[in-house]
Amino acid sequence: MSSVEPPLIASPGFMGSLRKYLRIFRVSLVERLAYRADFLLGTVLRFLPLVTSVLLWSAVYRGSGNDTIEGYTCRQVIAYLLLVHVSRMFSSMPGLASGIARDIREGTVKRYLVQPLDLQAHLLAYRAAHKFAYIVTSALPYGLLFWLMGGYFDWPREPWIWAAWLASLILGFFLGFLMEFVLGLLGFWFLEISSFLYLVNTVSFFLSGHLMPLDLFGGRMAMVLKELPFQYLAYFPATVILGRETPGAVMNGLLVEIAWCLVFLVVGRVALRLGLRRFSAFGG
Amino acid sequence: MTGGGKDIGGRRGLGSYFRLLGAFGRFSLNRELAFRGNFLMKVLLEVVWLGILLLFFHTIFRNTSRIEGWNEYQYLFFLGCYYALEGLIETLFLENCVEFGELVRTGNLDFFLLKPIDEQFLVSFRHIDWSTAPKVVIGGALMGVGLWELGEPVTAGRIAGFVVALLSGMALAYSFLLILASTAIWMVRNQSLMELWWLFSSLMRYPRDIYEEPWAVMIQKVFTFLLPALLVVSVPAEAMVRVLDSAILAWTVFAGLMMLGVSRWVFRRAIRSYRSASS
Repeated sequence: MSSVEPPLIASPGFMGSLRKYLRIFRVSLVERLAYRADFLLGTVLRFLPLVTSVLLWSAVYRGSGNDTIEGYTCRQVIAYLLLVHVSRMFSSMPGLASGIARDIREGTVKRYLVQPLDLQAHLLAYRAAHKFAYIVTSALPYGLLFWLMGGYFDWPREPWIWAAWLASLILGFFLGFLMEFVLGLLGFWFLEISSFLYLVNTVSFFLSGHLMPLDLFGGRMAMVLKELPFQYLAYFPATVILGRETPGAVMNGLLVEIAWCLVFLVVGRVALRLGLRRFSAFGG
Repeated sequence: MTGGGKDIGGRRGLGSYFRLLGAFGRFSLNRELAFRGNFLMKVLLEVVWLGILLLFFHTIFRNTSRIEGWNEYQYLFFLGCYYALEGLIETLFLENCVEFGELVRTGNLDFFLLKPIDEQFLVSFRHIDWSTAPKVVIGGALMGVGLWELGEPVTAGRIAGFVVALLSGMALAYSFLLILASTAIWMVRNQSLMELWWLFSSLMRYPRDIYEEPWAVMIQKVFTFLLPALLVVSVPAEAMVRVLDSAILAWTVFAGLMMLGVSRWVFRRAIRSYRSASS
């Protein structure tokens, strides 16, 4: 990698930078694929609790005597619970914030001051590679699962829904990354943030709609939850592909999601600059 | 090596085990209180989890009055029982079993085997994780609220059934954890332990009645008779607020004792094939 860096320093330019981060992407991809068996097992294990969810919701609907709850049929809730796994596949960033905080605490973050690398861009390329590898390798088990549980799905015919789903998933990746990145930068100001991160993750698990469709909370609560950025990490993409939203609402959702991305991008850039200034003041 | 340790340990009375357990508890509490902020954070996290759990529960019962025969307060009791039992497991065993893999990897297990006390006892109870202990109290409170709202008289028979089933359920969960931890000796790296435990506990989370659907009957049978995860919380909760069924109670007790035996056997097998890390 170092062999390509000197010319890049000489003339970074946009294309040069892009090539640099693409290379980081490739190296990270190879690294990730070294543990194929590990994540196949992990994916399969994650499916089994789905079985209990399916059973629970079937029992809830049988008990209620209604076909729909807050506009969801039982099949739709179950389909939703499967689809949020796909959303989280894109948007979850395990270890990103804690990794940044560790780099700050241990001082290794100083290499971004020395090398012609941007912390955020480097991590983004790295994460993108890991996500790419993860998604490609889980395509098989997930495909199998969706095929097995095909009875719960009414896949939409409209191509625009599929396109919007893909867009919402990719934006979900960026939003998840940008939000976690900001959290990680808290490490510049606080020594130990791991329990705090754990807390945020737990809350986000709930706020993002991983537990159940946000609409089921009903009334004002559902309304508030749908104003928060967390919903784009799980809920929004799932409702898009379920075909529950009108084209206008989907378009609106995507635009708001982009706006949230920009907000967290700006916050992240500012915090990074402030943090690095603070960091270099203390580093020796 | 293990034989020697056992013999000396065998001569000790039960009293010394209790004294030692008390000492472990005190020591862990001191260690925990040295980092008070962290401790409070962990407790806060449990409270947040509980809030999510209750909200989930509340949302479901806003839309239905029964889940497979469990009404809202029976289910609340079940939830409290689940929460308390999980708290007990986490307080007493979980951390220890997870750390066992680390002991094997670093070879520090040597020091444990040399101590004149039963190795399984030492490995299982070394650390008491006090930060999860509030879950036991909160779970107890939920059970109390459930019982209060149900308003049915609590008979001595039900209490006895509940206690026996709860102890058996704990035995089942502990045995499963111990077996998982023991595999660390053969595999050295057992990161999947936590995942498998999570899987096991996700089976405990809902009443076993929800597995009544035709396609799930096989799952119900396997996790009732082969790997009795479904009994752990369901049976004690049923004994208290639903039907006191002596057949399933007897099976739970039997399965608990049996799994304790099996897990001890697996643990001893594992210890016997342990080679330290030095060479």
